[in-house]
This record gives sequence, C-alpha cells and structure tokens, in this order.
Amino acid sequence: MIPPKFEYVAPASLSEAAAFLAAHPGDAKLLAGGQSLIPVLKLRLASPGFLVDLGRIAGLSYIREEPASGGKPGAVAIGAMTTYAEIKQSALLREKCPLLQQTVAVVADVQVRNRGTLGGSLAHADPSADMPAAILALGGELKAVGPKGERWIAVGEYFQGMFATALAPDEVLTEIRVPVLTGQRSAYLKAARRATDFALVGVAVRLRVGKDEKCEEISIALTGVTDRAFRAAGVERALQGKRLEPKLIEQATADVVQGVNVMGNIHGGAEYRAQVARVYAARAIAAAK
Amino acid sequence: MHKISVKINGNAYEEEVESRLLLVHFLRDKVNLKGTHVGCDTGNCGACTVFLNGKPIKSCNMLAVQADGAELTTIEGLERDGALHPVQEAFLDKFAIQCGYCTPGMVLSALALLQSNRRPNEEEIREAIEGNICMCTGYQQIVDAVAHAADLMGQSRS
Amino acid sequence: MLNFDEIFVTRNWFGKPVRRDKDARFVRGEGSYTDDLPMDCLYAAFVRSPYPHARLGNIDTSKAAALKGVRAVVTGPEVAAATKPVGARAITRPAVQHVMATKKVRYVGEPVAIVVANDRYLVEDAAELIEVDYEPLRVVVEIDDAMKKDAPLVFDEAETNVLLHDTLTHGDIEQAFRDADFVMQEQFRVQRFSSTPLENWAMIAKYEKSTDSYTVWANDQQPGRSIVNLCNALGIPANRLRLIVPDSGGGFGIKLAIWPYMVSLCVVARKVDKPVKWIQTRREHLLAGTHTPDCILDLELAMKKDGQVLGLRMRDRQNDGSFVHTAGIYNLIKFANIVGCYNIKATQAEMMSIVTNKAPTVQNRGVGKPAMMFSLERLMHRAAVQLGMDPAEIRFRNFIQPEQMPHTTPSGEIYESGNYPECLRIALEQIGYKDLKAQQETLRKQGTYIGIGLSASIEPGTSNLGYYYTSRGTPEYMGNAEGAIVSMDYDGNINVLLGSVEEGQGHATSVSQVIADMLAITPDRVTMNQQLDSVMSPFMGHSGCYSNRFNDVEMGAVIMATKKIRDKVLKIASHRLGVPVADLRFRDGTVYSEKDAGKTLTFKEVATLAYKQVLLLPVGFEPGLKEVAFYKNDIAKLPNKTDFNVQMTHANSLHATVVEVDPATGMIRFRKYVIVHDCGRQINPGIVEGMSIGSTVHGVGTVLLEEFIYDENGQILTTSFVDYMKPLAVGLPRFEVSHMESPCTTSLLGTKAVGEGGAIGSLAAIGNAVEDALTPFGVKVTSLPITPEKVLRAIRETKVI
Repeated sequence: MIPPKFEYVAPASLSEAAAFLAAHPGDAKLLAGGQSLIPVLKLRLASPGFLVDLGRIAGLSYIREEPASGGKPGAVAIGAMTTYAEIKQSALLREKCPLLQQTVAVVADVQVRNRGTLGGSLAHADPSADMPAAILALGGELKAVGPKGERWIAVGEYFQGMFATALAPDEVLTEIRVPVLTGQRSAYLKAARRATDFALVGVAVRLRVGKDEKCEEISIALTGVTDRAFRAAGVERALQGKRLEPKLIEQATADVVQGVNVMGNIHGGAEYRAQVARVYAARAIAAAK
Repeated sequence: MHKISVKINGNAYEEEVESRLLLVHFLRDKVNLKGTHVGCDTGNCGACTVFLNGKPIKSCNMLAVQADGAELTTIEGLERDGALHPVQEAFLDKFAIQCGYCTPGMVLSALALLQSNRRPNEEEIREAIEGNICMCTGYQQIVDAVAHAADLMGQSRS
Repeated sequence: MLNFDEIFVTRNWFGKPVRRDKDARFVRGEGSYTDDLPMDCLYAAFVRSPYPHARLGNIDTSKAAALKGVRAVVTGPEVAAATKPVGARAITRPAVQHVMATKKVRYVGEPVAIVVANDRYLVEDAAELIEVDYEPLRVVVEIDDAMKKDAPLVFDEAETNVLLHDTLTHGDIEQAFRDADFVMQEQFRVQRFSSTPLENWAMIAKYEKSTDSYTVWANDQQPGRSIVNLCNALGIPANRLRLIVPDSGGGFGIKLAIWPYMVSLCVVARKVDKPVKWIQTRREHLLAGTHTPDCILDLELAMKKDGQVLGLRMRDRQNDGSFVHTAGIYNLIKFANIVGCYNIKATQAEMMSIVTNKAPTVQNRGVGKPAMMFSLERLMHRAAVQLGMDPAEIRFRNFIQPEQMPHTTPSGEIYESGNYPECLRIALEQIGYKDLKAQQETLRKQGTYIGIGLSASIEPGTSNLGYYYTSRGTPEYMGNAEGAIVSMDYDGNINVLLGSVEEGQGHATSVSQVIADMLAITPDRVTMNQQLDSVMSPFMGHSGCYSNRFNDVEMGAVIMATKKIRDKVLKIASHRLGVPVADLRFRDGTVYSEKDAGKTLTFKEVATLAYKQVLLLPVGFEPGLKEVAFYKNDIAKLPNKTDFNVQMTHANSLHATVVEVDPATGMIRFRKYVIVHDCGRQINPGIVEGMSIGSTVHGVGTVLLEEFIYDENGQILTTSFVDYMKPLAVGLPRFEVSHMESPCTTSLLGTKAVGEGGAIGSLAAIGNAVEDALTPFGVKVTSLPITPEKVLRAIRETKVI
C-alpha cells in the first residue's frame, strides 16, 4: 500500500506553515507524527496535494510549567509536537499532571508513542482516541496559530465532531495548556479488546476530595462512545459535594450516556459501549479516589 | 524530489527521494537493507521497526524525507566485529524464531527495552513488544529470550 | 519399514533442543524472502472488484496504459482466454472458474485486471486509473441464504449453491440412536478466520522467449502441486516451468493456493522483457487472500445414562466462498476426524459445501479439525453437565484406551498410537483440577466468575491426498510421499535437498540432528539447501509444507537417502580397509573396524575415494556420494467411501484452562493454561514447544478476537490489522506445556504431528471454560468468536453466545 502522490513541504516557521495552508485551501494537510495520517494515505482514504511537515519547525516540542499570572492559574504547557514517549517520561508531568501520563501509558505501542504527538492526536480528533478524553477532563486551553496571529481555544469548545475541531483550515495547533493538579487525583481507564487498540470506551477522571471526604471537584470525560470525546456533566453534578460511596458512584454513572448519541462499530455496538461506559466510568472514579 | 542525508548503521547516505517514499522502502529498495520487513501496511505489526535517533519506530509509518538528518539503526547494524548481539544470541538460544519475518523488528524492540530497563519482568517485556506481531511463536519463547538477553547483557557488562 | 533402532548409530542429537543456528540468518536480517531477492523487476498490481457479485462489463485500460512507466495491462477476460480453468477437487457439481474474473465477479476483491509498471509506487497509481463497468447482481452472503430456493447462483452452471452434498454413514447409526437413553444436540457456528502469515503472498515471474519457458519465484506452500496446476492452467509441459521457493514468512495453509496469481503473473510476464514482481498488500491478503470457511455444524450424540456415547450424527454446512479449487475440502476433513479421541462406534456425516459471494477459502492450520473438535468437545462438556458428571470423567469413560491401539474408527481412520487417558490425567494434575471447583465456588460468592475448560483432541498428520476426491471417486493424487537428495561432499560433510520448503518450522535443524545421529557426526556438518528449485530439488506431487507431513514423509525421504549414503560409505570403506561391512562402525565422522581400531577412514578420506581416487574403488562400483530417495507412508488406503484413512499419523493434545469472565463487561481473562501434547518422539523439544504454543495462540485468536466480518451486502469490513485483530504479546497467559511420548508406529522416527494441535484443541477448552464460568447466568456457548459484546448480551438477554 502506497500513498498517492503529494508534494512534501517543510516550513521552517509557524507563520510559513500557516501561510502555506492559507495559500492551498483544502489541498494541504499538516503532518505531525504521522501515526494516523500515513496509514490513511497508504489506504488512499485521503489524497492531499501537499503535506506540510511540522517536524522541521523548532520549538514545538516542550513540556514546561507556566506559573499563575494575570488571574490565570498555574498550568503545564505542552508543545504540540511533544511525543507520547516524552509525555510518558516527563518528571514535571508526573508531579503536576499525572493524568496525561496515565493516559499515554495505554496509547498504542512503544514505536507509535515514539513518533505520535499530542498535537497530532488532538488535531486528528479520532472519536476513539485516548488523549481527547484526558485533555477534556483536564480542561485548559489550546493555542492555534493562523495567518492572522494566535488565539486560544477553550478545551470545552475544541472538539466539534468526528475528526472535526474548532481549528480553522489554515490554523496550526501549537500548544496545549493543562492545569496543575495539585491536591487532585486522577485515573484513565480504557476498555479495549487488545492492549494497543483504540478505546471501546476510555474514561478520564480527575477529582479532589476534601478533608471531610466529600468530593470538592470532579471532572469526567469519555472517549469512544460517540462522535467526539465528551464531559459527563450529569455524573459530575451528581457527585459534586458528596462522599464517593460505591453505591452513589454506581447510581451516578448509570446515566453517563444519557442524552449522548452512542455510536457503534464492528468492535462494539452502541448498546455494548453504553454499558461499558457506565461500568468504566464507575471504575475510573473508584480508581481515582 | 528531495535530497536527504541519513546515517544508517554508522554509514552516511545521500539520496534523492520522492516525497511519498516510505522510510521502509528507502531502506529496502534504495539502501538495499532487506532485513526490515513490511507485514501489515497500517503500522500495526512492527515488522518494519528500526531505530530512529536511538528509539524504535515503525518505518512504514514514516516518510523517508522525514528522516533527513537522522541516524538510523536497522537489524543489520547490531553485530559487532562479526559477533551477534546478545539479544540475537538470546533469540537463538530460546527458539524465539520461527519463520523469521517478525524477528528483526522483535529484536530491535527487545533491545530498546533492555537499553532502558536492565531487568524487565515478564509484564514489562510483553508490553515492550506489544507493537510487534508474531504469527508463529505465540510470543512465549520471545518473552523468554528477552529475559535471557537481559542476563547475557548483564554478564557482558560485568 | 526401517526399524527405529536401525536408523541411528549415535543418540547425541535426536530429541535434544539443538539451537536453530541453521536459521541464524533470521536474527541477522539476512532472511531471503521473495521480495528480498536481488533482481531487477517490474511490479504488478491487481485491480479488484468493489462488488461482491456483478456482471463484468467493459474494462477501460487506456488511461493506465497511457501513464508513463506502465508496461502492460491485461484484463481478467484476457487472462481467462489465455489459460485453462481452475480445477475442482472435492465438489461434485459443475462449476467453472478462471484464475481471474471473466464474465462476472463473485466476491469483493476478485481480480479483474493486472497492470505492470516500472516501480511499486507507480503501479498502484496506474491500477487506480483502470475503469471497470459492473452490473451488480443479487448477492448471497450467508449459508442459510445460499440454500434458499430463490437464492442467486454463484455458479449458474451448478444450478445450486451447494456444490458438494454427501452423506457418509459408518457403523449402525440407527441402532445407536435407538439404544440411546437420551440425545445431546446443538448447533454450533464457527466464524471465518485466517492464520494470516506475517509475510503476505509474494511472487516473481520471468518469461524467457528463447525457450518459451517460465521461471517463478514464490512463497508457495505446496510447490509439488502448484507446478502441476500452473502447467495445466498455462497449457505447457512441466519442462517449461521452473519454480523456486525462497524463505517464506509463515504459511499455516494460507499460502497453499497462491498459484492462481502465479498463473496471471506468468501471462503478463510474457508481455514484458523483465521479471514481474507482485507483493500482496495486507489489505489484499485480508480482503481476497484465502480464509478458513465459516460453518454451521449440527451435532447429535446418542448417549447412555452412564455417559457412554453410542453414536454421533453431524450435519456440516460450510461457507466455502467462491473458489472451486478448495470447496468441500474442509467437509471431508471434519468427517474424517468426527470421533475425536473417543471410541464411538457409529457415525453419520452429512456434508455440504456451499458457495457464496465471500472470499476464497483454503486449508488453514488444522483444516476443519478446529470446528469439528470445538463442536464435539463442547457437546461432551454439555453432556457431562446434563448428567451431573465431571467433564473429566465423561472423557475417561469414552476415550479410546491405549491398549486398544491401533484403533480403527468407523470410517477407517487408523489411530496408530496414543494414550489419551494419561494425557488427561497429566493435565488435571498440572492445572490443580481437584481444588478448582471449590475455588470457583468461593470466588463466585465474591463476585468473581472463573470457569474451567477441558478439551481432548486429535491432531492428525500426513494427509492421504486421495481424500479430496472421496466424493468424486476419481483420485488424481493419493497417499503422501516426498523426495530428498543427500550428498556427502569432498570434505565428508553432508548436504541435503528436500522437496519441500518450510515456513519457519526449523526443518534444517531437525534434519541435521537426525543425519548427525545416522552418521556419527555433529549437526554443524550438515547443511540443507532451504530453497526449493524444481530443476534441482527432488519433489513429488505431494511436496509442500502442510498437514504435519515433515517428520513423517519428508524425514522418511531424508532417512532413506542418508541410509543409502551410509551403505555406500560402508562399502567403500570395506573395500579400502579390507574389513567386512559387518565389522565396521561409525564414530566422530570416521568409519572404523570394530576388530582393529587401526583400520579407520575419515569421511573426508571416503569422499576422496568416491570423488577423486575413483580407481581405488571396486571395479564396476558407481563413484560419487549423492543419493536420492523417495519415501511414501504405506499405511494409506485407496480412497473409498466405506473404509478410508484420511491421515496417517495421529498426535493428540489435552488443553485445560481457567478463565475469568467479568460479567459487567463481558471481558475474558486467562488465569491458567495447561497443554499436554503427545506428538510421539520429539526431534527437537525446543521447536516442538514453539509449535505447541504458537498454534495454541492461533486458537486463542480464533476464540476471542479474529473474524472476517461481512455486512449483508457482501462487503467485507475487516481488511486491516486494526479491524482483523490478531493476538498480541499482552493478554496471553503463560502456557504450561507438558509432553507425552507415545511413539508413532507408522512413521520411521515414531514422530507425529506437531504444528496444528493448539489451533485445534484450544477452541473448546476456552469455550468450555467460558460456559463453565457463566453457569450462574445460564449462558450457553455455541458460536465463535466469543466477544465481550456477545458475552454481555448473553448474560443480560439472550443466554446464548
């Protein structure tokens, strides 16, 4: 299986990349780690005229702490071209935002994690990918750079559907900022037929429990269930301010897919995914607390 | 066409490549290193595993032009002075080869693990090779070979 | 037959885990697979039908032909016009099929045109430019639909989609069911799957104008027959075809019928001036390579209250897709193994090979035994539960006993050896059976559901190839045989040429061990040319690596040729040393007089006499040391519906496993897995262990993961390893393997089948364990694969997986 013909371009700067996208509307595709895009090309499911490689642009791969300033809370900033492997090994993330590491640990396999990038996954927005759930549970924002400059997109507004995001066609996702999870606990639980598969259901949870053992803050996001990752707001509300007793968790998560258009495929039908979503949401909350 | 320079197994190469040329075909057809195999075309089987700047990657999931300036190691680059690498010895010792088609990728994934973890347990070994499909062995003798390779590499260090 | 004790002069290597240094090329990346051969080639690609069933209209090749670098384009109808149709073997209805689509396409992925271009990238671009008109026809996908009166016909000339329909009865089946206290019956469904070797199909064809002949390089698994098929299809005598088989990256049966593509490649190679290479993509392999047929098996056991099985009725309906060459083969193999390990006196098998608009099928690892043993062993488990009897106990009561060996089954299969009860005893001990029931009860109370599954299965080897034709009565092939050439070179080292090529089984190492002990040398002095070359290698129509025939007929040929060398060495030494042959012995690569240790010759000295100092040989004595031998297994009977043995050796295995099922998600996890395998004497236990575990993991894939899924319109949905899921290193148990050795009495070395056991025995073991785990939920397991989704649906609603 061979990709169709395209021209490879390797801009040296973001502005150059954005300008190229703007000059070739609909005919240029960004290449990050390529772990999803290259198989798609080989299967000839897409045939862009140009691949714009972000790999030659300096300064897109980093993990650094952004202290609180100007009313913004402290965050960890991750360059879009940071690989899963780099996230997995980051001492900073281990301390400040373990949920990302808990998630990348179950993404694909070693080789894919060495090439695949956080930005690539989020821009691709596969409805069964793991990272969107983690990012959604974390909150935070994403930086997009376009011909007119940069803008920040709130995570909650970013995922817009199957393989669809809030990025404009001429924008490049460059950075992901996630909050520092001091005093919080987290878990990512993935149901899959095999270890390296996309999620049948993936559940990311972060929560803070107070001294009285009541849940002071909780954020739950799921992937694999519908056309995009989503927050389980109803479940969060049901648990907020309560003690996370098993019975309550079970009751709350029973409604995790309420109002969600659950989608199925050959790996798991809608009904099955709905059930696994309920079970895994409960288990993920239990694992986090 | 793009001119690329890469170092493969210590040797420098400069080649003109088409944009869409996959790294695996560059290695096999341009550089004539046939030990890197194609098994699945979709990045699932790991038969095309090589080291890119010291880390295992799937060479069928990467364009040759993306490797410009990189250092690559393929299965042909593991021997030193005609002697097999301990991981290769271990695969022979433990019957971890059958048809041999997955073997180069498996050996490289195993080596990547052992470079970062000198004493992996069975679970860690299995996770390290979960991106490499073997149709023949059922993996168990490969897992045993990797553990054995850890012993051999430990001995050669001491 | 040569006595086992006469074969060896030392016992230093046979039976030892000798390292596979003969295959060190694989760890070095020096394997030489077809795509690795250093040849300047053009590349071919096939244009394939997107429709499952359609009349083939105009094929416009002009755009592709106009593309720079395109060298030839040939359509299916053109290939068909230049070749003879594919031969059928097992089916009885007329059905005409060519190697490529002619008037209509019968499955998604059927090749309709072949294009050749300068490189492997360009050729895929060119293939996309070929425009084909199709007139879609009504589609038939599943077995039940194909059997309906108004079903669309896959082959019009057959006037039915059931191309083989036969009922074979052996023993007094009516009496068995009259005498039964009760009847256990169930319908089982086994899905389409494939062993998917990691190297896809690969081939190169070269045409030479001056001799009007072809050379083909291919990873063909059954070259002996492919030569015949290729010559027939091309209409050429055998001396105008040379077939070379290099290293092959796995076979498992899936490369047994790649020859139709070799035919197409030869047709197109004739039109260009360079060799043409075709490397199948994984998508093509999964889409339209060959599959294991899906089947529906209805089984009935005539049972006594004490657990004894009196008779067995089977109705086997098999979806053979659309390939007349292999249709019906699985039916016949299932029938031949119908009684498994049990002393059942009466059987009846109704067999139907049904064609549909699914992809072609081929003999995949175990060929029908996986489905047969799954169904039989599931029903035995169920019978035990119904009787309140231990599932181990019902098997002990029905096993053929070791003292009953050799045992002839009702249909004439001769089980020459085996100790089934002892295998089960070992397995029960290994898995800690006596404590498991109590453990299961305790865990259930805690909400953890574990299940214990046992499965006893037969693993036959060396097909009596007449079986293909049992329903037709006109065998083109029968029995099984192989050829080998063994030579001693100038230095007294040994070189072997064999009629078959392995796909990873370590044959060169095994051969070296046997020859080392036949000549008192070390295995490193034995080399085997691991490529088959039809102009140099000895071969038979049976030649190929399938049906576990290596350690029987292939090794038989090696032994007989080596014996000829040994006899000749003795004669030369006897003459030179003046010592009677009876007094000569072998030691460390020398032949010496037992009575006078001073009288000795090294093999090099013998070889010098044989090749160089020929005047020192007796007058009239043939110089040289190169011997060919052909060997056949004589236990094979002539094909016959009433009394026929389909295989000639009978290994067996006992699988026992403990699984845990999560009732909230339907996910299944292994807790323990024990394999007890009896393949007679082992040549190399390291290799045997790999075969046992490797084949078992194929079974694990079959039970839990793998399925070719077609939608109701005949479109296949599983054409990559994302969707067609193979087992990975993570998620498997550690297999505990034990061996018994009941030497085979029909093979020279006492060896039996090795390569298929796990793929046969594991299905029911896991299926039984899952059903056992789900007993509190009243769930039955009747189909494969057992997916988490099916488990959950069964627990919550349907009660049937």
